[in-house]
Amino acid sequence: MSRFLFPKWSNLLLPGLILAGAVAPLYAVFVVAYGFSPKTMEAGYQPEQPVPFSHALHAGQLGMDCRYCHNTVEKTSHAAVPPTQTCMNCHTQIRPESPKLVEVQESYKTGEPIDWIRVHKLGDYSYFNHAAHVNRGIGCASCHGRVDQMEVVYRWAPLSMGWCLNCHRDPEPNLRPVSQITNMAYEPELELSDDERLALIDKYDIHPSENCSACHR
Amino acid sequence: MPRVIVFTILLLGLLALIPPAIFARMRSTPGPGRPIHIVQDMDYQPKFKTQTANPLFADGRAMRQPVPGAVARGEVMDDPHYLEGAIDGQWATEFPSQVEVNMALLDRGRERFNIYCSVCHGVAGYGDGMVNLRAMALMANADGPVDGTAWVQPKNLHLPEVAAQPVGQIFHSITNGIRNMAGYQAQIATADRWAIVAYVKALQLSQNAPAGLRAEATP
Ligand code: HEC
Ligand code: HEC
Ligand code: HEC
Ligand code: HEC
Ligand code: HEC
Ligand code: HEC
Repeated sequence: MSRFLFPKWSNLLLPGLILAGAVAPLYAVFVVAYGFSPKTMEAGYQPEQPVPFSHALHAGQLGMDCRYCHNTVEKTSHAAVPPTQTCMNCHTQIRPESPKLVEVQESYKTGEPIDWIRVHKLGDYSYFNHAAHVNRGIGCASCHGRVDQMEVVYRWAPLSMGWCLNCHRDPEPNLRPVSQITNMAYEPELELSDDERLALIDKYDIHPSENCSACHR
Repeated sequence: MPRVIVFTILLLGLLALIPPAIFARMRSTPGPGRPIHIVQDMDYQPKFKTQTANPLFADGRAMRQPVPGAVARGEVMDDPHYLEGAIDGQWATEFPSQVEVNMALLDRGRERFNIYCSVCHGVAGYGDGMVNLRAMALMANADGPVDGTAWVQPKNLHLPEVAAQPVGQIFHSITNGIRNMAGYQAQIATADRWAIVAYVKALQLSQNAPAGLRAEATP
C-alpha cells in the first residue's frame, strides 16, 4: 500500500491562503466604499422624459437664461419646473406641428400637466432651499453641472449629506457674484482671486450652517 | 500544481474585477435605473411637496389650482395704474407711485430684460435675439416653413411708433401680451415688469439720444 504524500506545491497553500485572507476583506471594503457610495448609486440618474426637451438647445444654443423657465428659483426654496404656458410663449409659433411637441400641445389644450420625471430628489426627511444658495453667490453649475450641455438632464452631483457638508464647511471656492449665478461657463476659481472670493463671504454675510436642524427640520 | 487550481484562481481573480468595472461604468455614464436606495430610511414619506403628484385628484396634481378669480392675500386689485398701466382708460405716461425710478431700478430692469426679453428682442432691443434667428431660419426653409412654423419677427423696440409709446402701454404689452407676443404676467412680478419698462425707456433713449442730451452726458 503506497502512502499518501502531499505534492510539493501544497507547500504554497498556506502562504496563499494567508494572502487571500488578507486581500479579500480589503477587496470587500473597496467594493462597498466605491460601489455603494452615493457617487455611484445616486449621481448620474437620467430618466427618459415624456417630451424630448433639450437644455443643450434652449439654454445652450439659444442662450436662454435658466430663470426664464425656472422663474421661482431666486424667491422660493423650490425651483419650479415651468408650466406648459411657458413653452407656448414660443411654440405656438415655432414648430407647432412637430411630432416631438405633441405632448406639449395636448397639455396646453386639456390643461393636464406634462408628467416630467423628477431627476433631483433628496430624502423626504431633509430640507433644501434654492433661494438661500442662489442669492448668496452659489451658481446652478456648482450643484447641477453643465446643464447647458445636457441633451437630457441628469443628476450630476451625488446630493449626499457629505457632499452638502463639504461645501458648507468651505464654500469659498464655489463663490461667485450673484449677477453670474446662471452663467454656466463661469469658473469662480479662474475668474476671481482668492482675496476677491474671501471678500464675497463678507459681502453676502455667508455662514453656512452645520447644525443638523438646518437641513433636518 | 494541477491545472484546475491554477484556472480557478485566475477565474476568481477575473470575476473579482467585474463589480469594480460595473461601478466604474455607472460612475462615468449617466443613465436610468438610478438612484438605488439600499437602505430606504424615511426617503419616501407619505407627504406631498411642491410640484409632486397626488393620485387622489383627477388632474394628478398635489398642488391645487386657485379657483378662477381668486385673489391672493396682500394682492391689490383696485389700482389700474400699477396693475394695468392705465389711468381712466388712457395709457399712463408716468410711473405709478409704488415705483421709484432710480439707478437700482434700471439695473434690476436690465437684468430682467436680459433674462426674459433678450432671447427674442435681442440685448439691444433691435428684434434680433437668438430665438428670432433660429425661427427665421425655419421660415426660410426651401420647402416652406418647418412643422407649421409661423413666426412674426419681434418688434424692433427702437421703431418710432414703439419709442413714442407711453410707459403704461409698454407695461400693458408685457403684462397681457400684444398680438403675436405672449403675456408675461405669470412669469414676471409686477414690480419687475415696471423695472423692465424703465429699462426699455432708457434703452430707447440710448439709441436715439437728442444731440443736446449727448453733450450733457459726456463730461
Ligand atoms: C425653455 C425652458 C427651460 C430653460 C431655459 C431651462 N430649463 Fe431646466 N428644465 C426645464 C424643463 C421643462 C425641465 C423638466 C424636464 C427635464 O427634466 O428635462 C427642466 C429640468 C431641469 C432640471 C432637473 C429638475 C429635476 O427634475 O430634478 C434642472 C436641474 C434644470 N432644469 C436646470 C436648469 C438650468 C441650470 C438651466 C439654465 C442653464 C435651465 N434648467 C434652463 C425647462 C427649462
Ligand atoms: C424662447 C422661445 C422658446 C421657449 C420658451 C421654448 N422653446 Fe422649445 N424651441 C425653441 C426653438 C427656437 C427651437 C428650435 C427649433 C429648430 O431650430 O429646430 C425649439 C425646439 C424645441 C424642440 C424640438 C422640436 C423639433 O421638432 O426638433 C422641443 C421638443 C422643444 N423645443 C420643447 C420645448 C418645451 C417642452 C418648452 C417648455 C419647457 C420649450 N420648448 C420652450 C424655442 C423655445
Ligand atoms: C446648493 C446646490 C444647488 C444650487 C446652487 C442649485 N440647485 Fe437646483 N437643486 C438642488 C437640490 C439639492 C435639488 C433637489 C431638491 C429637493 O429634492 O428638494 C435641486 C432641484 C432642482 C430642480 C427640481 C425642482 C426642485 O426644486 O426640487 C430644478 C428645476 C433646479 N434644481 C434648478 C436649479 C437652477 C435653475 C439653479 C440655478 C439658478 C439651481 N437649481 C441651483 C441643488 C442646487
Ligand atoms: C456649493 C456650496 C454648497 C452646497 C453644495 C450646498 N450648500 Fe447649502 N448653503 C451654502 C451657502 C453659501 C449657504 C448660505 C449660508 C448663509 O446664508 O450664511 C447655504 C445655506 C443653506 C441653508 C440655509 C441655512 C439657513 O441658515 O437658513 C440650507 C437649509 C442649506 N444650505 C442646505 C443645503 C443642503 C441640504 C445641501 C445639499 C443637498 C446644500 N445646502 C449644499 C452652500 C452650499
Ligand atoms: C447641509 C445640510 C445637512 C446638515 C447640516 C445635516 N444633514 Fe443629515 N442629511 C442631509 C441630506 C441632504 C441628507 C439626505 C441624503 C440623501 O437624500 O440621500 C441627509 C441624511 C442624513 C441621514 C440619513 C443617512 C443615510 O445614509 O440614510 C442621517 C441619519 C442624518 N442626515 C443625520 C444628520 C445629523 C445627526 C446631523 C447633524 C450632525 C445632520 N444630519 C446634519 C443634509 C444635512
Ligand atoms: C417669444 C419671443 C418674445 C419675447 C420673449 C418677448 N417678446 Fe416682445 N414681441 C414679440 C413679438 C413677436 C412682437 C411683435 C408682435 C406683433 O407685432 O404681432 C413683440 C412686440 C413687442 C413690443 C411692441 C408692441 C407694440 O405695440 O407694437 C414691445 C414693447 C415688446 N414686445 C416688449 C417686450 C418686452 C419688454 C419683453 C420682455 C418682458 C418681450 N417683449 C419679450 C416677441 C417676444
